[in-house]
Amino acid sequence: MIHVPREEYQTALGDLRADVLALGADVVDQLEAGLTALDTGDEALAREVIDADAAINDRYLALESDCVDLLALQQPVASDLRFVAASFKILTDLERVGDLATNLGEYALSADGESGDVDVDAIGADAVDQLETALAAYESGDPDACRAVAARDDDLDALCQRASEAVVRDLLERETGDDSWAAERVLDDVSRLLLTVRDLERVGDHAVNVAARTLYMLENDSELLY
Amino acid sequence: MSETEPVTNGTERPAETTAGETDERTREAWREYEFAGETKLAVEDLDVYYGDDHALKRVSMDIPEESVTALVGPSGCGKSTFLRCLNRMNDRIGTARIDGSVELDGQEVYQDGVDLVELRKQVGMVFQAPNPFPKSIRDNITYGPRQHGDIDTGLLARLTGRDDSEAADRLVERALRQAALWDEVEDRLDDNAMGLSGGQQQRLCLARCLAVDPEVILMDEPASALDPIATAKIEDLVEELAEEYTVVVVTHNMQQAARISDQTAVFLTGGELVEYDDTGKIFEDPESQRVEDYVSGKFG
Repeated sequence: MIHVPREEYQTALGDLRADVLALGADVVDQLEAGLTALDTGDEALAREVIDADAAINDRYLALESDCVDLLALQQPVASDLRFVAASFKILTDLERVGDLATNLGEYALSADGESGDVDVDAIGADAVDQLETALAAYESGDPDACRAVAARDDDLDALCQRASEAVVRDLLERETGDDSWAAERVLDDVSRLLLTVRDLERVGDHAVNVAARTLYMLENDSELLY
Repeated sequence: MSETEPVTNGTERPAETTAGETDERTREAWREYEFAGETKLAVEDLDVYYGDDHALKRVSMDIPEESVTALVGPSGCGKSTFLRCLNRMNDRIGTARIDGSVELDGQEVYQDGVDLVELRKQVGMVFQAPNPFPKSIRDNITYGPRQHGDIDTGLLARLTGRDDSEAADRLVERALRQAALWDEVEDRLDDNAMGLSGGQQQRLCLARCLAVDPEVILMDEPASALDPIATAKIEDLVEELAEEYTVVVVTHNMQQAARISDQTAVFLTGGELVEYDDTGKIFEDPESQRVEDYVSGKFG
């Protein structure tokens, strides 16, 4: 058995890993809650999502500070260094996903639950799955899963592209006549849907970032970074 | 090597191979690595025994010129033994037996007829504890060149009109400037060197080494007895010297190796050179799990 004398340091590394995963799990919960609020029009849930973002931001800042402390005080090298560097970057992506979940909450407050031909749930489920897979790869140290997340992102991008086109096509087909109030509502719906699709597409991009940093952490491999 | 891999952050490599197999692959990987610069010292299959103790085992490595090579490893791993082989300092140890080859600029160091004084002029050394001669600062610098006949400031020289004192002054200033000590001692060159601080004494020893125009400078823990400010000065000097000289440094301070060296050789207990590579590679992504554990502070 290898003797590990730097007990405090080892504990700090373990804590950081657990904290990043806990933040990731909470951000996934936020995302799912935002999608549910959007689907059901549950205003209370939407407000909960929006209000919870401040706590996510605080935890993100605290964990970023933990990374800086580890670098300054423990001077990690080799795989430990890559772990801290990767975690530092992954935290930023998780915080951004938290912001995107908040956006979903805000869209839910102003939406009427009508999304036309666009299956927001399916896109959302795909984005959530991407993020969960990337976090699982970080947890288990699975390089193949990292590459799979990156490969699958093209599918999500294509799904989002088709959805955006459907929204615009739907807009062109609608007839509102001289009813300016109706026209404004249509514009609101369209913008909200386009923003929702764009935000979910970005969740996929952040999931790829998490996977890319995880691959660097595991194999010192930068192939997924761009 | 443990049978159970340590669990810290999920980034350890799988333990599907034995330490021996892994190390053999590691060795093949790093021996294919080509360092920038021409080879200054080529070491091939070097074995050193102190009596029955096999202190260094089949060590092979090429040390490139005009760069800093760090040797790291736990106490007793053979890194200082290795360093002393490079200018045959081990010859002075009666029980030491050395097999293998060390070439300096393609010339075998371990062959009959090598002039050891000339070799040690070419391959100078700075030790862990500053060891100036109990003489003036000036005499510390001129001692070597005088021994080698490069300058002559003695009575006979003056009587015969071969007074080289001006050349000696130039040499003293050059060496002290190179060692970043000149500004601190220029007004007291005739003071006894023992009155200098530890950091100044160490830089004086470096200046003394530089005074004989070496090509390679070996340093055995040159900053371990110094405070952080004096250490920083030595580290800066090492990096500057590498523009002109080949520097090989033994250090226990891993961060120091990371800061100042271009390539790092990791020796582990038993006199093995386990990995030798670009310093960035050693500290960011070493091939060997044992090296990873050692540089991360996990000791087997």
